This record gives sequence, C-alpha cells and structure tokens, in this order.
Amino acid sequence: MFISLSSIFACLILSVPALATSALTITIPPSNLLPNPNALPAVSHATLTTISSSAFASASKTNSHLTAPLSRSATFTFRLPPSTKPESYLLDIRSPEFVFTPYRVDIAADGSILGVWETFRGNPWDNRGVEKFVLTDVNPDVNGALTGSDLSTVDVNIEAKILTRRGFYEERSKFSPLALFKNPMILIALVALGFTFGMPKLMENMDPEMRAEFEKQSRTSPISGATRSAMSGGGAPGNFDLAGWMAGATPRPTQDVEVSTSGRESGGTTRRKG
Amino acid sequence: MWLQATLLLLASCVPSSLAIYFDEVNHVDYHHALLGFPSPQSTFFLKPSASSHGSLLYTLSENSLLGAVNPKGGFLLWRQNLSRTALPVDSNAHHLLRASEGTNALVSALGDYLSSWTALDGKLIWENWFVDETVADLELLELEDATASPSVKDTVALFGGKAAVVRRLDGDSGKTKWEHFDESGDIPFQISSSSTEVFYVSLQPSSRKGYRIKVTSLNPLNGRQTQQHVLNSESDVTSADSVLFVGANTAAPFIAWADQSRKALKVNVIGTKQVQTFDIENTSGESIRSITVHAPKKLESLTHFLVHYETESTTWAEVYHINLKSGSVSKAYDLPRLEGWSAFSTSNKDANVYFTRITQSETTVVSSASHGILGRWTHQAPPMEQALHSVSEVVSKGDTVAVRSAAVLASGDWQLIRNGQTEWTRYEALTGAQAAAWVEEDTQEDLVHQLQVEGHESLSGAYLHRVKRHARDLQHLPEWLKGLPKRILTSILTDEVSNLDGYGIVKPVLVAAENGRVYSLDAGNHGAVVWKVKAAEAESWNVKAILTQPGSATIYADDGSSVTLDASTGEILERSPATVKIRSVAVASDGTSPVTVGIQENGVPAEVVNGPGFFVTLSDDGSVLGWIASDNQRPAWQFRPAHGEKIIHATSRPSHDPVASIGKVLGNRSVLYKYLSPNLALITAVGENSVTFYLLDAISGRILHTSFHQGVDTTQPIASVISENWFAYSFWGDVIDPSDAKGYQLVISELYESSIPNDRGPLGSASNYSSIADLPLPHVISQAYIISEPISHMAVTQTRQGITVRQLLCTLPKANSIVGIPRPVLDARRPVGRDPTANEQEEGLFKYNPFLQFDGKWYLTHGRDVAGIKTVLSAPTMLESTTLIFAFGSDIFAIRATPSQAFDVLGKSFSKLQLVLTIVALSIGVAVLAPMVRRKQINTIWKATS
Repeated sequence: MFISLSSIFACLILSVPALATSALTITIPPSNLLPNPNALPAVSHATLTTISSSAFASASKTNSHLTAPLSRSATFTFRLPPSTKPESYLLDIRSPEFVFTPYRVDIAADGSILGVWETFRGNPWDNRGVEKFVLTDVNPDVNGALTGSDLSTVDVNIEAKILTRRGFYEERSKFSPLALFKNPMILIALVALGFTFGMPKLMENMDPEMRAEFEKQSRTSPISGATRSAMSGGGAPGNFDLAGWMAGATPRPTQDVEVSTSGRESGGTTRRKG
Repeated sequence: MWLQATLLLLASCVPSSLAIYFDEVNHVDYHHALLGFPSPQSTFFLKPSASSHGSLLYTLSENSLLGAVNPKGGFLLWRQNLSRTALPVDSNAHHLLRASEGTNALVSALGDYLSSWTALDGKLIWENWFVDETVADLELLELEDATASPSVKDTVALFGGKAAVVRRLDGDSGKTKWEHFDESGDIPFQISSSSTEVFYVSLQPSSRKGYRIKVTSLNPLNGRQTQQHVLNSESDVTSADSVLFVGANTAAPFIAWADQSRKALKVNVIGTKQVQTFDIENTSGESIRSITVHAPKKLESLTHFLVHYETESTTWAEVYHINLKSGSVSKAYDLPRLEGWSAFSTSNKDANVYFTRITQSETTVVSSASHGILGRWTHQAPPMEQALHSVSEVVSKGDTVAVRSAAVLASGDWQLIRNGQTEWTRYEALTGAQAAAWVEEDTQEDLVHQLQVEGHESLSGAYLHRVKRHARDLQHLPEWLKGLPKRILTSILTDEVSNLDGYGIVKPVLVAAENGRVYSLDAGNHGAVVWKVKAAEAESWNVKAILTQPGSATIYADDGSSVTLDASTGEILERSPATVKIRSVAVASDGTSPVTVGIQENGVPAEVVNGPGFFVTLSDDGSVLGWIASDNQRPAWQFRPAHGEKIIHATSRPSHDPVASIGKVLGNRSVLYKYLSPNLALITAVGENSVTFYLLDAISGRILHTSFHQGVDTTQPIASVISENWFAYSFWGDVIDPSDAKGYQLVISELYESSIPNDRGPLGSASNYSSIADLPLPHVISQAYIISEPISHMAVTQTRQGITVRQLLCTLPKANSIVGIPRPVLDARRPVGRDPTANEQEEGLFKYNPFLQFDGKWYLTHGRDVAGIKTVLSAPTMLESTTLIFAFGSDIFAIRATPSQAFDVLGKSFSKLQLVLTIVALSIGVAVLAPMVRRKQINTIWKATS
C-alpha cells in the first residue's frame, strides 16, 4: 500500500492542476492528560512544514510553512492550496505545556490529501507509524495522474494525540513537621527520650513481684541489661563489651555482663528504695 | 509510541535540577508582554460577552499583534500575531479591528487576511483570505431584522485589488454570503452601514484634479445595488486622506471632509445628496494642522459628533447634532480653545454620548447634548506627556460620572488614566528594541583607583595610605550597624534580592528602542522603567550597539553618530555627529582603554586604531575580510565562500568566555585537550538548498574546518554559535536520501587538539604559537540531533569563571520560548548505538539518541509566552553560579539563571527561620536535660558507693 503510494508521488509532478482546496482538520480529543481541550491557551497552533525550493522562494513561501491557530472548538484547520508539485509535510502541534505526536501529511499537487501517518522524529522519513488517513479510492492511471471524481474536495479530520505534559518547575521540598518526624535520627532520639522518662515510671507502677521477675529476666538478657545500664544514668558502662556482643561472641562476655549488671542493679534498686 | 517513551525517559535521565522554582517566578525573572503601538482606529474598550462584568481593552497594533489587555493592572490576557498567516505585510496595509458588544467575537483584517477571534480567550472563530486582494475597510452588520440571530454578527468587508469587491461574510464560518463587484475602477474607500442598508463609498477620479465621492447603497440581504449618487467634492478631495470621516453604524452615518484651505467643513449624511457646509472659526491666527472627527459607533447612540481642530499650539472642538428626521446637521456647541495638545475620545452609555478630553493638565468629560462639564480631574504633576489618541469609557451614576481613558503617548507608551490618576503604563515602544546592555555601576571605580595608588607608592607610603583608607571606611560603621538588625530580620523573613545587590545580579539594563528613546529597566523591581529619554535627534534611529562604561553608556547609531548618557539618570552627556553609514561597531583596545571603530557597509573599518588588534568584517558583496587594526586600507586577508553561496551570518567567541579547564578528563583519568583558540570565527554560507559552516582562524583567514549540509531550507532560520572549544548550529534538514529524517536539526561540534587522549598534538604545551605558520588543525567530533522546534537565535550562558556548566540558549520562535540546553546533554562524545561503558558513565556520558526532546525544565521562559525574541544576551555576575540573561526583540524578558544550581548562594529552600528554631529548640533541650543528667550522675555515684 505504502509502496504503491510513494510511487504515486514520484510521478505526480505532472498531474492535473485542480482548482478547489481541501481542508485538513486536527481535533484535540479529551484525554487523561488534558480532560478539557478548550483549556488550551490561545497561543497553541499547528504547523505544516517542508522544504521550500528556493527557486520559487517568494511564491512558495506560504506553501512550505503553513500555520493554523487554535479554534474555539479546540481544532486546527489547514486550507491546503494547490502547489506546483506534491509535498510531504511534517505536521507539528505546538502548545506550551503539552507535547503532541508529530504526523506526516502527504499532499498531491492539486492540494488534496493523500495520507496522514504518525511519524517518529529522528527516524527515516519513510518509517511511518499508525495510519490516520489514506486516500483509498484513487488509482493512478497510465500517466500517473490521479483519477477520481471530486478528489480535491475531500476534507480530512484526524485526532491529535498528546504524548506528555511538560513540567516547567522544580518542586521545592516543603517544611512540614510530619517530614521532620519521618527523619530516623529524630525517631531514635524520641524513642530514647521515651525510655528515659517512661521506664522508671513504668517500673514504679509495677507490683513488687512482677518487678522482681522483670529484673531477674533482664539480668539474664544481655540486651535489656545493656539498655538498663544505659538507662540508669550510664554510670559505668565500660564493662559491657558492645563490640563483642554485636559480633555475636556470647559465652565469655555474658559473665562480664552478669557481674556488671548485678552491680548496677543494686544501685538502681537502692535508688528506687531511697 | 514506545520509541517516544524511551526518548522521554532518556531526556529525564539528564540532571534535572535546572529549572526554576515556582515561587521564584517574578523574583528571578521579569517579562514585558508587549503589543506595539496601538492603531488609532482599531483600539477600543469592549465588554467581551453579554455575561461579563467589566470591559477589556482591545487593540490591533501596528506590529500586527492583536491583543486584549485587562484595564485593571494593564496586563495582557491574550494576543495573536496576524502577520504569521499572511505574506509579509506591506507597510501601508490597513490594520482593522471591529467588534460588537456582547457577541464574544472580534473581526480583524490585515492585508488579504480576515479573521475572527473570540473576545474572551483569543481563539479562532474563522479565518479567510482572498489572494491578490487587500481589505480596505471592514464593518460588522448591526441589522435590526429577525433573520440574524443576535449572538452572531455578520461582517461586511470592502476589498481592493483588480476590482473593488464588497462581501458579506458569515459570522460563524467566514464564508461569503454575497459579493458585489465594482469594476468601474474607482478607488474603494470605505464601507458603512445603517440598520437597513450597506453603503459602499468610493472615490471617483474626476476628469480634472481631485475625486468625487460616490456612495452606493446595497441591500444587506442580497448585496444588490439599490441606489447610487455622486457628491461633487473634486475641488476639496485630492486624495483619500482628505476625507476626514465616514461614519459607521450610527443611526445616521455621514461623510465629512474639509476644503483644501481648511476654512469650511462639509458634511453629508449618507443616503442623501445634500452637502452642508460649515465655516471653521479659526481665531488662533495659526493654520489648522489637523481636523479629526469623533463619532459614536453604536447603533442606538445619539447622532452627535465632535470635530477636533488642532493648530501648532492650540486645540478646540465643535459638537454637531444630526436631526434624524430631516437629515440636517446643526452645530450644537463649542469646546473652548486650550493651549497645548488635547486628545478626544467618544464613549457611549446606552443612548447617551460622552466626549472625554485629555489635556496635559486635566481630564474633562462633557455630554454630547450640552456643553456643561460633567467631570473634571486634574492630573498629578508632572504634566502629562503628549497623547496622540485615546479611548475612554464613561460610567454615569446619577449626576456624577467616572471615566477611564487609555491614551497612546507620543513616546509609544500606553497609559490608563482613571479619573485623572495614572493607573498603569505599558511601554509599548520597547517592542522595537534594537540593542540592550547592562549598566556598569561605578561604585567599584573609586576602590580600583585607590588600589592603583597603593600599588605605585613606596611600601611605607602604601601602608599608610591603606590604614587611612580603612580609617575612612570606619565612618560608614554606625550606618552599617544601624542597618544590621533590619538586614538580619529581612533576610530571615523574606528572600528578596536586595541582599545580593553587591554581587551585580540586579544591574539595570539599558534598552534602545526604534523610536529614538532609551529606557532603563530596573531588574530588582520586575523590570520597571526607571527613566526614559529621547536620545535620538530624529524620529527614529537604527542602533548598532550600546557600550557601557562605569557610570555611563554610549549608543552608536548606524549613521555613525553616537550619544553618551548618564547610566543612572539618563541625562545626555555627549553627542557626536553623524559621519559615515556603518554596518556594525567593533571594539578594539589601544592599550589602556577600549576604542570603538565603526565598520562601514563595505566592510572597511572607518578609522585606524593604534596598537595591536584585528577585525573580521563582513562586506556587502558577500565576503569576509580580516583587518589589522592599524591599517584600514588593505585587508590582511579575504575569504569568499564557494561559488553560488552567500554569507548570511558570522559569529565569534564571546569577548568574555573564560575556560575553566584546558582539557577534558576522561573516565580512565586520561585527558583530551581542548582546541582553544581565541581567534575563531564561524561563518554561515547558504547556497540553493544547502548550507556550509566555515570555521576560520581570524588572524590568517585559514579554514580550520568545514561542514556542509544538503537539503536545507534556507528560508527557515539558521542559527549558530561558538564558545570555548565547541560550536553549534541548527537548520531545517529535508529528505535527500530515503533514509533521511525530516525536521529541524541541531548539530554540536567539539574541537580537540588531538584525537588521542593525553596528546597535545604538534604544538605540545608550547606557550606561543603562530596563526600564520604551521597552525595545527583541530580534531573535530560532531553529533547531530533532530529537534522539534526551529531555532532563530543562539547564545551561550556566561559566568565569571566558566566553571558552571554552560547552557546553549536557543530562541524558539514557534514556541515563543527560550530554552537553555545544558552542555552535558549536547556532548559530542555520547556513545552511538551502544550503552556507555563504565568509564564513559563516570564521565557522565549517556547513550546517543537522534531525537532530542526539550525537557520542560530547560525552558527558561517556563510558562510565559515570550514572543518575537531577536537577540539573547548573557552576562556574568560576581557569583559564579549565576548568569544574567536578557532577551529583546518584540517582548522583553530577563532572568537570572543558575545552570548548575545556586551552589554559592543560600536559596529559598534554605529556611533561616527553621535553622534558628532548631537551634533554639536544641538549646532549650540542653537547658532542661543538663540539670537532670547532672543530678542523676551525682545520685549514681553517691548511691553506688553507699
């Protein structure tokens, strides 16, 4: 299909000059990125661009760069005037905040639209994407001229596709107390603070038997022992071999711990009694 | 689709912390969205739709920009450039804009192009153009029949061309409803309509001198001619300008003209044959310079009009009434003759018509029915600048009235005066900005001088001098101490720029406008105009350059004249007369101070400079010439492009272009040395559908590198720039070979001393080299990208030391933006077709992709619509991170950019308040906990030992 069409372009140069102009309308449908196409700013516009042969620079200037402003129904309409030869245009839709897919628009010398395809920037021009429109009821005759009754009055309507939305601004991290509390350092500090103040109170409110039980337990457990030693004012933690404990070397240090904790334990209890 | 997605993903891999923060908008940047000089007949107040409360101010400017301005505040709501769809507009094309209250539609015409736009948001309703015809006049049909729905008004337009044509165009689609051809060869002049008829007014050349006015009545429904009559005006009307007024859309439209000696005013109510003549009572003794007729345009308004007479020094006006039944015109009253200028305007309130008169000292409002003054407001001092024309809106409440007028001043500014108070001023003359420069403040000048003195004295003398200087500085101490608390407080509470004044980031900018005026814009105050002066002696000038010295600035015009201004007040210090016509201005150095040399049209320097230096000039016959500064007779070398090519642009490295590192460190710690020559020139030459870029050595004229591209659209913008050891250019590349891509291309080329790392080429680390003998050629690496936008102008950001990453500043004329592409993205050594190796990753290189999608964060203009930019300037500040960018052309835009983030300034994200609060909280914590801990420790010691 594409191959046959591209062969049409080659021999279209001599095709009959038609009179009427055809129109290409691009509609912007509502999409997730742009729920209301009427919200697009008025500067949005679409352009059809191709090379202008400098031999006809002044005459073809309007034909090689066409611009269509945004209409109030969120469409762009091009009136395609007849040209001296068939053209293959790049259709760009420009809006400050949105990026649209580019299209390839092939136009015959009489101004009728031969086809509209998606195109990929930075790829060979022949590498066409999804076909949006193609003139089907046309057969090139022997001379390559197009036959078809009212060819030039075909008006084409395609839908634009939004690729992405441009973010112009950098997000600034806002100061919020919640974010402050998400900070692990702050959380650790708060937990430590909670232990410092909360633990003695908790211990006082326990009945004596449970307390004795708890103390007994804590004496056997190195962790709580360490915690308690830290809690009870950090008086002499020197005997606790933290490195050894963290390395998992249990048998030898446990003894040390027992000695040290018991020593401090008595201090703790006496304080509470007194 | 997946391809595009990967591209976007890739683009987002780039360090994305370049964009500005939303809360910095209006702090780091400012923008004057301008329209240009408002056309007198196409400016008005209008209620955009029936439901809207207030009215907006609409204009079609002489720069072909159609826009809506909010009268409250004076900011632009929307605008459209009408020239973009039409061919280049010839200078005497009519700029026509018409609207009807409450229809939410404007109709404009320019050249052959007619378009209709929604009044609220500026979107297209319809457009239409008629090849080889130009629109001579345009009216909206205000019919009192039931066939037309009230919300849509059809347009009647008069076209000139081979034959005059009157067309009625549908208000919804712009399609022709009927056409009336006039092939008599008369000059199509104006069109007018009443509620029942369309009148086509043309000028019929009489057999002798002058023109007869021919009025043809047409049926508005089918365009058929109903009647025609000719008024005998050939003795008075010598050209179209002789007819003062053709009234539109009043209940009784009329034609007014004056005889050639301006002694009699003649009025014809259209549709009648009767011409009434009134004597003009001119008791001033001076000849009348101009006569203007002001009449209401609404159908329901009273049929009164005002004739405004102006002599060299005085103005007065007469008010006339038309009797609808008899069609007779009678003079009602006079408005007194006043010294100086006056600007009259008409406004309606229902049927009532008010005339507003603005003079340099006051605004007065009268009703058209009687001469009693309804409102009088004195303007504040100083006296107002001359207004050329104005539009007004009068609101009446009982006996009192309120008025607001938008006056166009002789300087091109647009001012809104509400009840005698100036509400806002739009500096529309800045649209034609031709050159701009940052002011160099002279505060450091004294210190530099003092240091020079110290350098030249003996050791002890210098020491004493320094001690004295510091002692003298102490006198500022009390003042400084006094300001300290305020400074600390403001720096905590706000993040205003004022704290950074000393770093040269709020330098004022001087802008030279086309109309001979120079403006100073205050960067610290949203670009407000500090002063403006008329520096040119003529009405307009063509400024080639503004060069600033500490405290002053010199402006060079193309006739070889120059004006020196005081940079802080705008006072004209010095003026030099015109000499020869110059093409550009070059700056050379004669050892101590910079010297300017005008370059003539043929590329020859106008004068000789003693001392070393050289110029590279473009001549009008399309060649590049190299000159030794001390010889302006014979060029040192001449460069001509290949046959059939024409040089369109030449550029060189910026005068301030510091290089932070002479090499590029690769991932494996080897170094690729940059080819750094201060004498590089990049020449752009176009052929037929091709472009060639020549890299020249400016001393010898030798070609160092050439790149040639085929299939280039030479009518599209081709931009180029060169800096450090790289150059970039952009053009529209079309398909030559089937495998080619079609689109705009951006090419980056980097110059290295050698292709081998750690190799410095034939010169090695020699400190001297000669451009003339054995200049080694650079090793050039290039990469091309497809981009989605044309680039009309390129510049490079400049910082003080060149350490900050450079940005390639590209002006995008189609997107109305300026984009700053970070140089690392445009690295010519990005790996092609494979993923980067670990070494390359370490260097920051990532995979090459042929399509370069501009990230939204690169847009320096962010959400603003910055239109018509022709030149972008960049200047360093005292802060390495910060560069100043100023863009002008049609709009004015300036921004303080930080290409590698503000690494040497505490930004807004650094909350000083938070820091203080944290310290306070910690101190309280320590104060509370310290005694507790101390007690506990003491307890532990005591109780453990007990």
